[in-house]
Parts: sequence; structure tokens; C-alpha cells
Amino acid sequence: MNRLLKLTSVAILSFAAAAAFAQSSTPIETGVFHGRLHSTSGRASIYKEPNGKLILRLTHFKTSNGPDVHVLLIAANDAQDNDNFLKNNVQRVELGMLKGNEGDQNYEIPAGTDLTKFHTVAVYCERFNATFGAAPLKKF
Amino acid sequence: MAGATFEAVQKPENSMISFIRKHKIIFAVASLIVAGALWYLFRPEELFINKRVNEPAPFAANDAAQPIYTGTLSEKLHETSGRATVYRQPDGTLTLRLTDFHTSNGSDVHVVLTTANDPALQSKVPGKALSSIDIGELKGNEGDQEYKLPPNIDFARYSTVAIYCERFKAVFGTATLQPF
Repeated sequence: MNRLLKLTSVAILSFAAAAAFAQSSTPIETGVFHGRLHSTSGRASIYKEPNGKLILRLTHFKTSNGPDVHVLLIAANDAQDNDNFLKNNVQRVELGMLKGNEGDQNYEIPAGTDLTKFHTVAVYCERFNATFGAAPLKKF
Repeated sequence: MAGATFEAVQKPENSMISFIRKHKIIFAVASLIVAGALWYLFRPEELFINKRVNEPAPFAANDAAQPIYTGTLSEKLHETSGRATVYRQPDGTLTLRLTDFHTSNGSDVHVVLTTANDPALQSKVPGKALSSIDIGELKGNEGDQEYKLPPNIDFARYSTVAIYCERFKAVFGTATLQPF
């Protein structure tokens, strides 16, 4: 009896794992970067993973070099070149230090982030409080 | 009198220099520390050094179609909205998918691919023929729909999806495709 229970639980678990793997992460929002002063370009997309976790992915991405550059989600429709979020008092969610100024990269979005409110991605230099580039997101 | 003033101004400076000379090593070490701290604070080399990364996409099943280009539809001569996305299917074929799509009613309306600089796209009135690759007759003026794309389309050139009324040669709306 015990063995049967064990076998069925293993079967159920492996089936659940297989089902989770069969599902893909799907893009739910996307937008393209603009930024002329610091020539920022590429795409920002938010993916929903099968477990519900949200990932921000930058593709074909390029921005200028700079110190202490961060990736943020901001509660705004867009951001202009050199916008200072500290001065404008723009609400933001910190996603981490920019991993590279070129190339494809992923960032975890903290659980509970309200994407209807935070719907623009900003590449932001904390040192000089200046926006390098922004990508307003739209439903994919 | 003038000499006395000269003495008074020069003296503290001279004693300062001799003080620095006396404690040469301490000053050398101190200036190194200050330089190091300044470098750490400002990291000037980051203004010049590129850092390239290449992380893989979030997990996607092998049997899932992958978006390769997308753009949002906007109005030209008639109200049009939604998203146009080119997918690569697992078998390598390409499809065009319209989502959250809405355009006006019309007769003989087609989905076409055209170049961004086609003069007919600038036209404010119907009647100017669009040179384009026909994708097919519009299946519905509302809702999600999918179209098979012919092989070997140069998306760098044919980067604009247009909803085009063949009868009146009117561009209802367009979307500019950009790499996903």
C-alpha cells in the first residue's frame, strides 16, 4: 500500500514537472527604446513564466557607456532624454544594475509589481540622475 | 616697505613647501589614497568601456512559435488599431498574426507588406496605388487572425504591414515591424 502511494506520488510529481516544462514563457508586453543623447536602442519585453514570475528581457539592446547605470520600471507613460526622476518625483521599481550596455539580457521583476502602473522601462544613470533611454510598453 | 610685504606673503608658502618636503612619503601615500578614492567614486573608465552580454531568452518550448518581428497598428485613412507580429513556426515557415485588431469595414480589403517609404503611405486621400506583397484578403475587420507568409521576404525592406483596400486604393492603417 505504502509503495503504491509512493509510486503514484512520484508519477504525479513527474507529470506535474513535465507539464510545467511543456509550458513556455510568453511575452505579455513589449516596446522599443528611444534615447538620442545617449543613443539607446533595442526592445524591452516582459515575459510571464509558467510559474507566474515576471522577467524583463532586453533584446537588440544598445546604450552608451556610463557609471552606475540601472534598469528601472517607472510609473509614467514615457521618459525623455536626461529626465531626472529624483527631481520629477517619478515612482520607480529598481530591477538592478545594467548588466551590459550591449546585448540580450534578463532582469527579474519583483513579485507584486503592478504592471498597469509601471509600464515604461528606463535605463537610468544613478550617478548623474539622468535617463539614457526609455521604452514605453504595450500589450503584446 | 615693499620688501617687508614680500617677506610676509612668501614666508608661509615657503614653510608649507618645506613641510611637504619633510614629509614626502606621507604626502605621496595620501595623494595615492585620494586618487584611488576619486577613481572608485567616479569610475571614469566606465565611460569608455563597452560591456557586451548575451543571456538566453526565458524558457520557450520547442514546439512553440517564436515572435521575430512586431509592431503596433495605427490609423492612416481609417481608424485601425492592434498589433501585427511575425512568428517563426517550429517547421520554419513564417506567419503574420494580428491581435487586439480593429479596422473599419470595407470591401476587398487586404493585408499587405510594403516598404516604409512607399509614396502611397503619405497620401491623405485614396486613389494612390501601393506597391506591395499581398498576404491575403483580410479575414475579419475585428479580432485575432493569422496569415501564412510567403518564404524569403526581406523584412529589412518590407518592414511595413498595411491594411489596404484594393478597390479604392486606400491604406486603412499600418504597422512598422521591428525585431522582437
